[in-house]
Amino acid sequence: MMGPLITKMSYAYLFKYIIIGDTGVGKSCLLLQFTDKRFQPVHDLTIGVEFGARMITIDNKPIKLQIWDTAGQESFRSITRSYYRGAAGALLVYDITRFWKLKECCGPDQYWEVSDTEPVLLFLIVHASLSERLCLQSSPPPSLKSWASLVTSSDVISQRETFNHLASWLEDARQHANANMTIMLIGNKCDLAHRRAVSTEEGEQFAKEHGLIFMEASAKTAQNVEEAFIKTAATIYKKIQDGVFDVSNESYGIKVGYGGIPGPSGGRDGGSAQAGGCCN
Amino acid sequence: MQEPELHDLSDDADYAASLQQGSASTMITRSDSGRSTSSSVPEGAEIVYSKDNVTIHPSQYASERISGRLKLIKQGSSLFMTWIPLKGQSTNARLSERDRNLYTIRAVSFTDVRSIRRRTPTFGWQSLEDANVFLVNDFQNPLQKTLSSLELPVYIASGPSASVSDGGESSSYELQERIGGSIHDEIHRPSQNPGRQKHKSHDPARDLTIHVLEKFSLVTKFARDTSSQLFRESNSNGYGAIERKSSSQTPPDVPHKPSTDAEIAPEPVPSDPLEFNKMTLVWGKPRQPPLGSEEWATFLDSEGRVMDAKAFKTRIFYGGVEHTIRREVWPFLLGYHAYDSTYAEREYLKSTKKSEYETVRQQWQSISTEQAKRFTKFRERKGLIDKDVVRTDRALPFYDGDDNPNVNILRDILLTYSFYNFDLGYCQGMSDLLSPILFVMEDESESFWCFVALMERLGPNFNRDQNGMHSQLFALSKWMKLVELLDSPLHNYFKQNDCLNYFFCFRWVLIQFKREFEYKKTMRLWEVLWTHYLSEHLHLYVCVAILKRYRNKIIGEHMDFDTLLKFTNELSGHIDLDAILRDAEALCICAGENGAARIPPGTPPSLPIESENALLYAQDDEVL
Repeated sequence: MMGPLITKMSYAYLFKYIIIGDTGVGKSCLLLQFTDKRFQPVHDLTIGVEFGARMITIDNKPIKLQIWDTAGQESFRSITRSYYRGAAGALLVYDITRFWKLKECCGPDQYWEVSDTEPVLLFLIVHASLSERLCLQSSPPPSLKSWASLVTSSDVISQRETFNHLASWLEDARQHANANMTIMLIGNKCDLAHRRAVSTEEGEQFAKEHGLIFMEASAKTAQNVEEAFIKTAATIYKKIQDGVFDVSNESYGIKVGYGGIPGPSGGRDGGSAQAGGCCN
Repeated sequence: MQEPELHDLSDDADYAASLQQGSASTMITRSDSGRSTSSSVPEGAEIVYSKDNVTIHPSQYASERISGRLKLIKQGSSLFMTWIPLKGQSTNARLSERDRNLYTIRAVSFTDVRSIRRRTPTFGWQSLEDANVFLVNDFQNPLQKTLSSLELPVYIASGPSASVSDGGESSSYELQERIGGSIHDEIHRPSQNPGRQKHKSHDPARDLTIHVLEKFSLVTKFARDTSSQLFRESNSNGYGAIERKSSSQTPPDVPHKPSTDAEIAPEPVPSDPLEFNKMTLVWGKPRQPPLGSEEWATFLDSEGRVMDAKAFKTRIFYGGVEHTIRREVWPFLLGYHAYDSTYAEREYLKSTKKSEYETVRQQWQSISTEQAKRFTKFRERKGLIDKDVVRTDRALPFYDGDDNPNVNILRDILLTYSFYNFDLGYCQGMSDLLSPILFVMEDESESFWCFVALMERLGPNFNRDQNGMHSQLFALSKWMKLVELLDSPLHNYFKQNDCLNYFFCFRWVLIQFKREFEYKKTMRLWEVLWTHYLSEHLHLYVCVAILKRYRNKIIGEHMDFDTLLKFTNELSGHIDLDAILRDAEALCICAGENGAARIPPGTPPSLPIESENALLYAQDDEVL
């Protein structure tokens, strides 16, 4: 009876994280990269919420991160809001790039393979004057469905929107999460620097204005992914050390385990003792 | 005198759960349980339930408890119960051979169990405010009659010699907890048959029963677990119903066997044991093999009309259809094809609908760059759809790989739908609903119209409310009043733990369990749901069935909202579809009209009321 419980609690702390941000910015991919160390570009869109967990070490203490990966679509916000409750940390994610999955929206043409490496060309297609477009029109192979389907493609036209929506996400977080929640702003897809639509400085500026930690990361290359999750945890940990949280109050998204820190007196009844509770 | 120890299962991990729920249980068996007590567990039987640490109380003293293993064994359609003593309570108590023989219970047919009672253990035998009784094994009468027979609180309250009325028609399935006091009072009065308790002479069969009962003054988790299976057989099944009526429906005529100080149902047993064996508990009807093409042909007349739509739907409800004929059958189930349409009419419909589809598709395909620049809503919807179709079932060969044309068709249909129903537009989850349809129909236009038909039923799920609060139309807390009806303790638990928003069912309902089952099983489930046989809201009963199945875990582990959400999420891929469908069927039958009354009108997948519908969509002015 006690064995499994002890195993279960073999962390010093458990932090609840929530990942938020617009749909398609790579929330699920960031989570998978962090928990499984792999990038899976093809995965099902998130309905409701998904979960992940991983142990990390901070200050030589084992800390378990329980991560909630939420659905990003606007219409699910009312549901998402209920997940903020008791989160210690939030990763607020946006997409630094302007194009999204270009190939799929433009049809099965080699031409569009080129587009990934030739962002300037695409940019021209979208924003060029009529004459420039006509000039380029000769280059797509005939199998391309129609010129119209290309130029009306929202992927190409829309950009920076996931960055522009940050304020509204933040407002949600401020309103529904506990005030001491640590928020990490992540500009994802930084491996696609050639398609960048939001500069690093802009991200930094937004974070600074709103008191967030900031990092650019890539779920694909894993760049800064570990760092983002761990730095958030380190910040929370420091808040605990500084006495910002009453860790016995689980509404802060922190649970105290037995691993790495002296447990409550008398381990014998550990199975029934509440985490952090002291029986005096 | 020490407190009553009759249900002292404190060595039992489940006891906490039982305490939490404030109840323990006893079981009451039929008077002649000896009849079907066999010497061993039948060959080829299936153990459907096994639990250690089920303790019997030979006396009121805890030190004399004997702990053992309770099993439910299913053979054919019959259910048997066994209990084997394992150890005594005192430290070195090895059971004597005599005790072992004395207490072992060998394969009591469950048909001999008249009812299962749950009570608050701390109050013991005398206090019965909280007693819950599950009447079982009488299947032929409507639920209302069952409810009307729930005089148990009164009888039991009268003390140890109280009897169970033999008027119990079926599993009450905790429904009595929901009955208002007035109804309750009213209905049990007529059953207080004064003749019931006056016979107290000796009868060997009775003694045997008492013997069993003594051994079985226990069992907590058992009752809770099995209660979800203790449903009455649906009337249409028919077997034994008539005979049973004559023997058990008229309490006053029943020749009462003597009663002693155990709770016993003076119920005569039909003379034919074979017939009796058929009258077992039923987990909903057994699932059938799917409808194949040959059988499907028998439902059609020479011109292709479905002759008996009800029989057809019933057949599919119990077995689904083989994949090869889904393309023909689904349009009927979805309401795209009329059951009385002919082959020729359907061919004609197909061609006219195809051009109608192409007209709508052309509407967005013809939008020019300049238009699109000034058409934010279109751009946004298209952007969303483009993002989502490449994240929909890409692991399936049908949708996998780069530049898969089926992914493009998925996109085109969704975008066309967002023009066909511009007020609703596009919302995540729709691609999940469309994917199996396209997979089955393999035709763009036909898939579109089937999807349209499905969205006629489910569309409101994707609509936001008029206040712009982005809440889904389906008010989970509203429709989940079903839980209150069908599993009151669970409902109370959710209430206490601030879980009544039922967000943990969100994904189940929004995309009709698509993420909870593998693709093939999802298709099976959907066609069953689409029959609207028994209820158009069967999916809600499926929700309740799943929650009930895990209710002990939920309550026993004190799951809070977060834990519960994580738990229900992780059930994905671990739910036994057939078992859950049978539970849901049984729940649906049990709830009957009471269940239907708990579901607000217009709850998807009810067909929308036109005027209301227009209103619902009208305010959807924001992003989507």
